[in-house]
Amino acid sequence: MEVTFEGEEQDPDVRFVRGTGKYVDDIKLEGMLHLHVVRSPYARARVLSVSGGITGNELKATMESVGEDAGGKSAVSFPALSASYVNYVGQPVAAVLGLDRYDAADKAEEVDVQYEPLRPVIDPEKALASEPIHPGMENNLVAAAELGKEFEVKAPIEIEETLRMTRISPNPMETKGMVAVYDGSNLTVYASTQSPFSWREGLASSLGLKEESVRVVQMDTGGGFGSKGGIYPEYVVAAYAAMKTKRPVKWSETRYENILSTNMGRGVRGKMKVYADREGKLKGLKADILVDVGAYPLGGGGWTARWIASQLVGPYSVPRAYATAKAVLTNKVNMGPYRGAGRPEAAFFMERMMDRLADETGVDAAEVRLRNATSRRTTSPLGMEAPPSKQLFMKALRAFKYSSRKKKENVGLSFFMLIPAAYGGESAKLAVKGGRVKVWMGGSSHGQRHDVFAKSLVSEELGIPQDVIDFQHTDTRSISGGVGSWGSRTAILGGGAIVEASRSLKAAAKKKLGKKYSPARLLEGEYEAEAFFKPKDLLNTLGANMASARLTKEGNAVVDEVVSFYDAGKVLNPFMLESQITGGVAQGIGEIMYEQAIYSEDGQLLTASIADTGVIHATEMPKSVVMTAASRSTLPHGAKGVGESPTIGVPPAATRALEVLLGRRFTTLPIEPEKLWATDVAGVKEVRVR
Amino acid sequence: MPQTSHIAVEVNGVKREADVEPRLLLVHFLRENLGLTGSHIGCDTTSCGACTVLLDDKAMKSCTVLAVQADGRKVMTVEGLGGHGKLDPVQEGFVAEHGLQCGFCTPGMVISAYALLQENPDPTEDDIRTAISGNICRCTGYEKIIESVKHAAKARRRRRT
Repeated sequence: MEVTFEGEEQDPDVRFVRGTGKYVDDIKLEGMLHLHVVRSPYARARVLSVSGGITGNELKATMESVGEDAGGKSAVSFPALSASYVNYVGQPVAAVLGLDRYDAADKAEEVDVQYEPLRPVIDPEKALASEPIHPGMENNLVAAAELGKEFEVKAPIEIEETLRMTRISPNPMETKGMVAVYDGSNLTVYASTQSPFSWREGLASSLGLKEESVRVVQMDTGGGFGSKGGIYPEYVVAAYAAMKTKRPVKWSETRYENILSTNMGRGVRGKMKVYADREGKLKGLKADILVDVGAYPLGGGGWTARWIASQLVGPYSVPRAYATAKAVLTNKVNMGPYRGAGRPEAAFFMERMMDRLADETGVDAAEVRLRNATSRRTTSPLGMEAPPSKQLFMKALRAFKYSSRKKKENVGLSFFMLIPAAYGGESAKLAVKGGRVKVWMGGSSHGQRHDVFAKSLVSEELGIPQDVIDFQHTDTRSISGGVGSWGSRTAILGGGAIVEASRSLKAAAKKKLGKKYSPARLLEGEYEAEAFFKPKDLLNTLGANMASARLTKEGNAVVDEVVSFYDAGKVLNPFMLESQITGGVAQGIGEIMYEQAIYSEDGQLLTASIADTGVIHATEMPKSVVMTAASRSTLPHGAKGVGESPTIGVPPAATRALEVLLGRRFTTLPIEPEKLWATDVAGVKEVRVR
Repeated sequence: MPQTSHIAVEVNGVKREADVEPRLLLVHFLRENLGLTGSHIGCDTTSCGACTVLLDDKAMKSCTVLAVQADGRKVMTVEGLGGHGKLDPVQEGFVAEHGLQCGFCTPGMVISAYALLQENPDPTEDDIRTAISGNICRCTGYEKIIESVKHAAKARRRRRT
């Protein structure tokens, strides 16, 4: 019993407009059962008893590996199904199987769970003083780091601010899901994923299987934004159910379940203090970062606080900096990567301070940034390397027509560094047979159309037409290793791997054919090449945004236009790049205006429908203008990362534009529409902003 | 056995009959019973529009209509567009302007756009934004979707003249 992609339309756009994409929930296999998960209605409770269906008394698996966080093992064990304590609303406690989703939901009635509710810890700022949520822990602190050196400095300008980015739901349009098939010795999983290899590793370790006996195939995947990189308890339970029943098992969650049980992004507080001279030149930076990691520190909880702190200085140069970073447990679903994953937090905190600095010194916001940018490669006192930044920002200002627009409009700027997730490298494989070339990547598209640059790179390298190249779904059986698609990494690393694999394939053909070698001859033979590409150089890149804001005739402040100017290296496909960036602009605007997860005091999620979570509609989207600086990277194809740039750069620029328009200081995201209503359309300036 | 009702629905021009539970949603009837998996399920609160179909020529979110309510009526899904291997101008517009990324919201967007152009062959940009404001896309930022609809409107007008 197998899902195949035989005869599939190669162009995903054509496939998708016809409705013939193959997503997990479209799979229908003979004898397939549907899994329904029974979840905790409490944010914190002791499970007194649980009976009916598959429970944690039967399946004693814990979550071992979660993709992007691989290696970040925690002392706290996260059970696939909890039989002792539950720690967030929506945590799985049991699962039942039915012939279809209705039947499975009916069967859930047969599950009986007795809980003793406990007082939950919800506010991360109170979590350190609260009793530990997990038995056996001393407190709720799960990670603490100190970066740079404590310092004292005399400065005429000292500004302190507490900034917050509220938790948000990633909300890919396709919810999470999978189909598991077990043949008695091998487990095959059809997945909606950003990383089949993380799934393979995670499922094998949670279920005590050998990785060789687990195959993960990526289906068409309806978005991820970080949330589909790692594995979740439900995946382990569904795979177990298939192994137990020897029947295919589908798990496909509802949106309500997706919002309850998917790792959320952000949820970070930054206490910032900058020291500067009267000309706006930074003399020092201090910061204290607090991350709300939720109930189990597995989605990134182990590293996020330090990661944010490490990049606070961004593209600037500062003589001294000191940061402390903590991550705390609360009774909420885990925190995890969401487009940008720590980068937007760092940029928002720093860029808000640059705007404050402009206001306090009376120096223009662009000039303040320029005065702190550098013309050389630097390593910040917090340990992060940055490329020379001054030139790029000057180019951006010219491209924005900043000086003239600033006179007429309410504009905000941002300047930031994008650190792509280059660690671990990435793989690609090529196989020539029967006149056609098949291409696989270790981590592939969940909406980015990696096939477009993959085909064009292979075609360029081998001198063959694109229409003989077939881009394949990532399948752990077809390629020997891989990492995954996240952190602005696939065009740079996967692209690099494609170039390397193409070159070694070409070399093999040349060796075999000698002087007779030609691209046409290459296609007549049979060749295979796989490459695992690991870059050695600094791939950190820079970007800037300008946003403008205006009042509608009803008196609402809105972001009117967002201009992006990013150093994307050699642009592999301008059309796709623009499309990616504009999508990220929408997420950035959603994040500053509306998007947030709101919890009640007892830990119930109040924003539990996609409408409540605040994602924006076509009517709320500002104009997006995309520009790039063409500076090749040192990689064979010259590319740099770009996918996360807009969620890093747009929030601070757009927040500033609204601040300038309304004359109100904004320190917490989302700003919320009710705070964006002009009480006086003429504009009462409550704070002095320039 | 749960009680069932007999329904007859014309789907993409073909009469389809079935005995269904009264609680069965139209989108599940289309996807599970008929295998028309083009209509997607992106939420459970009629908010996202991924399941949009035409019900008696009106754009409708099929996750909030019971299959029994469609009895005796006409449904068109994304699979009913185009024909003979050809794309409808609306589909062509989405391909030409790349009005999609992950493709999950696409069938609903395409149907909403199709319904708009049936009613208003020459929509303004604001008309388009309003017409697709019941459809959520998380990838594109909508701009290229709007361009796709404009492209489709032009192509349709050209075809008529």
